[in-house]
Amino acid sequence: MNWLVRALSSSVGKKFVMAITGLLLCGFLVVHLAGNFLLYVSPEAYNEYAHKLHSQEQLLMVAEVGLFALFIFHIYLAFSLTRDNQQARNVSYARRETKIEVPGPTRRISNWMMATGFVVLGFLILHLADFKFEARSFDYEGKEPFDKAVMILKNPVTMGLYLAGSIALWVHLTHGFSSAFQSLGLLHPKIKCTIEWIGIIFAGAIGIGFGSFVVWAMIQ
Amino acid sequence: MSESLDLTLKVWRQASHDAQGAFRTYQLSGISIDMSFLEMLDVLNEHLINRGEEPVAFDHDCREGICGTCGVVINGQPHGPDTKTTTCQLHMRRFKNGDTIVIEPWRASSFPVVKDLVVDRSAFDRIMQAGGYVSVNTGNAPDANAVLVPGRDQEKAMDAAACIGCGACVAACKNASAMLFVSAKVSQLAILPQGKPERAERVLKMVARMDEENFGSCTNTYECEAACPAAISVTNIARLNREYFKAMLVSDPV
Ligand code: FES
Repeated sequence: MNWLVRALSSSVGKKFVMAITGLLLCGFLVVHLAGNFLLYVSPEAYNEYAHKLHSQEQLLMVAEVGLFALFIFHIYLAFSLTRDNQQARNVSYARRETKIEVPGPTRRISNWMMATGFVVLGFLILHLADFKFEARSFDYEGKEPFDKAVMILKNPVTMGLYLAGSIALWVHLTHGFSSAFQSLGLLHPKIKCTIEWIGIIFAGAIGIGFGSFVVWAMIQ
Repeated sequence: MSESLDLTLKVWRQASHDAQGAFRTYQLSGISIDMSFLEMLDVLNEHLINRGEEPVAFDHDCREGICGTCGVVINGQPHGPDTKTTTCQLHMRRFKNGDTIVIEPWRASSFPVVKDLVVDRSAFDRIMQAGGYVSVNTGNAPDANAVLVPGRDQEKAMDAAACIGCGACVAACKNASAMLFVSAKVSQLAILPQGKPERAERVLKMVARMDEENFGSCTNTYECEAACPAAISVTNIARLNREYFKAMLVSDPV
């Protein structure tokens, strides 16, 4: 296994892990969003789904540990790579211009991965505090999942922060999705354009999807 | 008589690797628009020598876009404002009368400044020594056409081999990553039959050396591709990643 650890600790290897964990987290987002859409179906459907999910204790535990590991790897590598990258240029330019003539929609966004990543992380922590650990000063007592969700989402602070989180996620994925394919060596010219567009659409769908719950809660 | 330019130059001056560097401002007048950028620097140096000052050190050799030594950052762009052009191929007609031109060396920890605009790019040589070659027996040259190469592969290998190793990719990258250079060198050999036997070992060794030299990693920003005077495509980086992936999983450990 030594060879694997060694190969994955190089700059190229770290980007593999970054890409794979990122894409797996994208998978999680899809599942999570699909579950949330039951809010739009009916309170009963959402409650039933939530209860069923929470009754699968072992499964949930495995999933949570897995997700936690994915996040940890993704975040740790973000810091590790950023540090390496900063060290690679010790003196900065007095003047810097791009030569990219028509910056493609996803290109400049690579500069925003750390910043948007931080916002998403903040969003995630708040979200876990709200829903999982019930740590905020809401009246959680005896509420069904649907009512709990509406109560939390209607809070103005939640609204602002969740919206910011969704937008940050949107931006993050706009670069991250197609970039992951490049890092894995899969962006062959044959599929490059397609993957880039899928990335843009996917990021938009995820961002708008999660953002929509806040807007929906407003009119509840 | 052709048009001429009056210019303000802000040039990075640094006496030696350890010395503190700073920008110095120089005025130049009567620069012909037909001059190349390096000829303009020659004129500046003549003035400086006549005044008894130290001329600006800059690298150059072929002055026709082949050797890759002449790279400097001009107004924030490696090799200046043109695309697919080296500094030596840049002409003064690209500038306007009264312009201020900022000239800096490549900025990367792996490319320490030797003097003024000259940087030490031997990190690239060490990456090449790590695996950027094919091992062949010496002796008579092999028969022409003994090894057939499909036309498509020839094209791809030649496109990658167009890299002149100037370092503009590193200079342009926000992470000072050498991925475009290394990927071109890995690709040009991996595509050809002569390079295939060593391809797994080559990519692992070259990437390891690249990391040892403290180049940054690739964040897929693609500034390198835009700055490259030889138009090396980032598709080579995808190929490098692929080669690395394959080498990692299905090759004998080196
Ligand atoms: S001097 Fe040789 S490429 Fe410019």
